[in-house]
Amino acid sequence: MNVRLLGLGEIPPALAEAVLAALPRPFAGGEVASLPASFEHCYDRTRAQVDAACLIEHVPGPEPGWSNLALTGADLFMPALTYVFGISHLGGRRGIVSWFRLHPEAEDAATQMRFLRRITTEAVHELGHGLGLVHCVVPDCAMHRSLWPEGVDLKRPEYCPACLTSLEERCR
Amino acid sequence: MTAPVRILVVDDEPHVRNSLAAWFREDGYDVSVAESGRDALATLAREGTNILLVDIKMPGMDGLELQRKVRELAPDATVIIMTAYASVETAVQALKEGAYDYIVKPFDPEAVSRLVRKAAERYSLLAENRALRERLADASPALVTSGSPAMARVIELVDQVAPTDTNVLITGESGTGKELVAHLMHARSTRRFGPFVVENCGALAEGVLESELFGHERGAFTGAVGRHRGKLEMADEGTLFLDEIGDVPSRVQVDLLRVLQERTLKRVGGNETIRVDFRLVTATHRDLEAEVAAGRFRDDFFFRINVFQIALPPLRERTEDIPALAEHFLARFATQMNRRIAGFAPGAMDALLAYPWPGNVRELANAIERAMVLCRGDRIEASHFPFGAPPVAADRSLVAVEAAHIRQVLAACSFNVAQAARELDIDRVTLYNKMKKYGIERP
Ligand SMILES: Nc1ncnc2c1ncn2[C@@H]1O[C@H](COP(=O)(O)OP(=O)(O)O)[C@@H](O)[C@H]1O
Ligand SMILES: [Zn+2]
Ligand SMILES: [Zn+2]
Repeated sequence: MNVRLLGLGEIPPALAEAVLAALPRPFAGGEVASLPASFEHCYDRTRAQVDAACLIEHVPGPEPGWSNLALTGADLFMPALTYVFGISHLGGRRGIVSWFRLHPEAEDAATQMRFLRRITTEAVHELGHGLGLVHCVVPDCAMHRSLWPEGVDLKRPEYCPACLTSLEERCR
Repeated sequence: MTAPVRILVVDDEPHVRNSLAAWFREDGYDVSVAESGRDALATLAREGTNILLVDIKMPGMDGLELQRKVRELAPDATVIIMTAYASVETAVQALKEGAYDYIVKPFDPEAVSRLVRKAAERYSLLAENRALRERLADASPALVTSGSPAMARVIELVDQVAPTDTNVLITGESGTGKELVAHLMHARSTRRFGPFVVENCGALAEGVLESELFGHERGAFTGAVGRHRGKLEMADEGTLFLDEIGDVPSRVQVDLLRVLQERTLKRVGGNETIRVDFRLVTATHRDLEAEVAAGRFRDDFFFRINVFQIALPPLRERTEDIPALAEHFLARFATQMNRRIAGFAPGAMDALLAYPWPGNVRELANAIERAMVLCRGDRIEASHFPFGAPPVAADRSLVAVEAAHIRQVLAACSFNVAQAARELDIDRVTLYNKMKKYGIERP
């Protein structure tokens, strides 16, 4: 399965490349591209946040053998929820990950590594949803649901054996 | 396997009901949506819904009225009321009439997930996630043994204490499997659906350790990200494993003791009191009784964490387990490296059995991984192990080769001279003489 990482709006240089390079099996590689930043109408002024359900409609549908995942720094919400880290079309191979809430508080090199690991882990998570996986109970599996940024640190940017098996079946 | 819990989201705003449905589908629930009370009742009758999330303000039949009807038609169903700030009073009214709980829009994802999970547990703990049972079995760590009495005893203790909430202290040398046992206890406890959170207390400076454990608040950061939740907080509803507890400074011991007593904490620099509910498992390679006696470890804290103790024996005291462990790691690395290696040559297994393993199971795993990298054929040989290899001598004289060979055979027999002599097919006196000649001594 190939992955197209799409920068949505401004994105730190080399971030998408680093995430792409760190993706685990069953993802084999892919490419980095960018989407025109056209999410004004998804922006909610009163909440000062971007509606994830609106935004995901701007992520193009993938061709066979590909998953499309947008990366953004926008603060995402869903209508009834205060925030989300990301959103996917379950089984639709399309998703978005936001790093807005994943930032650790300091700026030193160690926290930068932690930050990159968090984004990668959540990218792996949304890609799993895109292929139809639901949340996993294994605490360090990328498909475990995390609700806090620090909770993302408890996971690994990889799938547990059961999730991997199920993904490989879906990719076949 | 149990069927997944069925959820029905009732809201007249399509945006709200569809996004909530998507959110809960990702948790593996069966989710339907309804746009009105009438629609909801039809779905309830058709599908036997377990949990209804009901918007309180809807045109036609409102949330309160729907709740009353649900109570008549399906008394076992759980109703959660969704409300905007303006209608909190009505929500309280709904609670009085038997709603399970209410949430205020927009919800904190954490709060709503937790609330629905709690409600789902009333139906079936295991129905929460489709593949739950198999997955837990798959992921639950395996404690490999060939049935050594020492490990049989450990497994018995684990089975006995795992389902309780008792604080457990695991002792044993480094690499004996303390973290593995802690993980196993979590996987076999009623908290297995909650987090398993690990902190190595030996690796961190006092200030860092404190903030890692208790979290901290820092005002001066953008957005909602100024705070850092600590490991204690993250272990809520799960298991907290504190490794190298013997290295925790006394002041932090006092803070931890307070949390264990009061079950609440405050983040460093924060005022909010946070309730925490975790099961504590600790581990140490030190002799804590001796540390307490020497005044280097607080006795009140020690009594608190040492309610139940599991001692892991060093690998050299359970050599029976070595073959099974070796095969286990061989199979694991073979998959990881995508290699096909048939097994161990007889001399290789002998070398593994003879070596004293100061680094215990971790060292064994490392030795096998390294051997597999070196191995070109389809069997691991003794020479693939650092301790099994003849000393690399540029000297290829018969004398040097003989000395190296004798060393290797002796190591493989744990320096049992009689056994080594038999294998070398010489008598014991000859072997002793050769050992003296080549300066070979027992380790
Ligand atoms: N009985 C066992 N069966 C399988 N693997 C084991 C066993 N004991 C230890 N291990 C493995 O050895 C390594 C070291 O164990 P660990 O639990 O980290 O030791 P400790 O916490 O005592 O230092 C880990 O990779 C662990 O999975
Ligand atoms: Zn998810
Ligand atoms: Zn998983």
